[in-house]
Amino acid sequence: MKCDWVQQNVIHYVYDELADDARYEFEEHVGRCANCKIELSAAREFRQGITTAVEEPSPNLLAASRMRLQEALETASQGGLWQRLMLDPAAWLRQIRFSPALAAILLIAGFGGGIGATYQLLSARTVASQVVPVQVQAPNEAGISGIRSISQQPGTDRVSIKYDTVMPREAEGSLKDQQIQQLLLFAARNNYNSGVRVDSIDLLSRQPQDERVREALVYALRFDSNPGIRLKALEGLGAYVKDDIRIRNAMLDALLNDTNPGVRIQALHLLQPVRTDSSVRVVLERLAASDESRYLRSQARAVLAQLPEMD
Amino acid sequence: MAGTISNRIDDTVLVREAQRGNRVAFEELVRHYDQAVLRLAYHLTGSEQDAQDIYQEAFLKAYKNVGNFRFECSFYTWIYRIVTNLCLDHLRRRQVRKEDSPVVTGSDGEEFSLMDQVRDSRPGADPERDLMRRELGSRINRALGRLTPRERMVFELKHYHGLKLRTVGEMLHTTEETAKNTLFRATQKLRGALADMR
Repeated sequence: MKCDWVQQNVIHYVYDELADDARYEFEEHVGRCANCKIELSAAREFRQGITTAVEEPSPNLLAASRMRLQEALETASQGGLWQRLMLDPAAWLRQIRFSPALAAILLIAGFGGGIGATYQLLSARTVASQVVPVQVQAPNEAGISGIRSISQQPGTDRVSIKYDTVMPREAEGSLKDQQIQQLLLFAARNNYNSGVRVDSIDLLSRQPQDERVREALVYALRFDSNPGIRLKALEGLGAYVKDDIRIRNAMLDALLNDTNPGVRIQALHLLQPVRTDSSVRVVLERLAASDESRYLRSQARAVLAQLPEMD
Repeated sequence: MAGTISNRIDDTVLVREAQRGNRVAFEELVRHYDQAVLRLAYHLTGSEQDAQDIYQEAFLKAYKNVGNFRFECSFYTWIYRIVTNLCLDHLRRRQVRKEDSPVVTGSDGEEFSLMDQVRDSRPGADPERDLMRRELGSRINRALGRLTPRERMVFELKHYHGLKLRTVGEMLHTTEETAKNTLFRATQKLRGALADMR
């Protein structure tokens, strides 16, 4: 009977799911019973064995998932208070029943809003012909429908960006300006017009020391459909290939898998400073042995020839 | 433990901010849990694409519904609940559509996974060790594939994520005792299927 109980609970013991008293009883019994001791060691072996052979998701998959999610979040909208009230009017009524103060505030706000709206409507009629200058405020990404153009004043770091919200707007400022950077980052990922994406990546690549900029450049290198933009992103990332493993991995990926030979050749050149790195060496050996491009094969062999022999 | 409490406090602040529409706060919450979410989805689906889809859907769902989060459980339990539901749906669908399974039967009657035939092109892969790991991994995956979706989920959460069965029960809307029985059944099946590996 005791052995049955131990066998029923051995897995719970191994996974630390027995209460203290049961654990004590378990250990007491196993100390005396050879068969249960074997059962315990088999359960431990099972736990250990099943752990070692399972594949974990790669850091690249996590990075790609994060980027994809970030992109989706930019266009996703939250179910706000209004939606909640629409979906769950009972909860709304409960709130009011249990919160008379809230109900009073809602009523007052309702009256106030109504009076205010009426006043605004009446006064708007009187000033309808006046032109109100548009104030450019810090753009809210969720409200931007697209970037129309990006232009830089020659010889300066001043940038002018035309973008659309409900109405066309224009922002102007230094490249270091947070508002300008925000718009450039938005343009790099979201714009359908590849010319605008080229301009934004070009300007962003001048400040790759910024973590957000690097992320945008890596994203462009991995996912942008335009090879010119991928090349621009590569150029911007080049200086950081030694220090940032994410950048190195993105370049290796481009070297192996990019559909454009120009991007692959550029990646090969930029990876030269880290050619002794084992991951780079493996990729070079693979290229030298079997790449379909003769030029890349010969270039990879030339780089490998400069490397010291490995034991 | 102190770390857990401090995490909870951080989470509470971040959730409140996210409920006010602060996307940066939500993204910070994502960073707290997204590795675990991706790991869970990847283990259960065995496919990078499916894992990525579940990851995406889980966090978008959380983002859209964070306003309805009432702090009745921890955010961590809540997000796990979303992702476990998505994974269970996925596993159930896969059980129904067997044609999607990457496991096929060869001419000698031996089952093998098509996924194992895909070459690992990652730099630095050691072919011999990789082959052994793949063989072992493929046997374990086949054994895991024979569990019911619920058994698979309880085993995954306990074994690979180290969660307490009480928490697992809470996530799966069941009791600790039921989770305990499910874990027992799952491990019995797995040990039976992998007995000759010892």
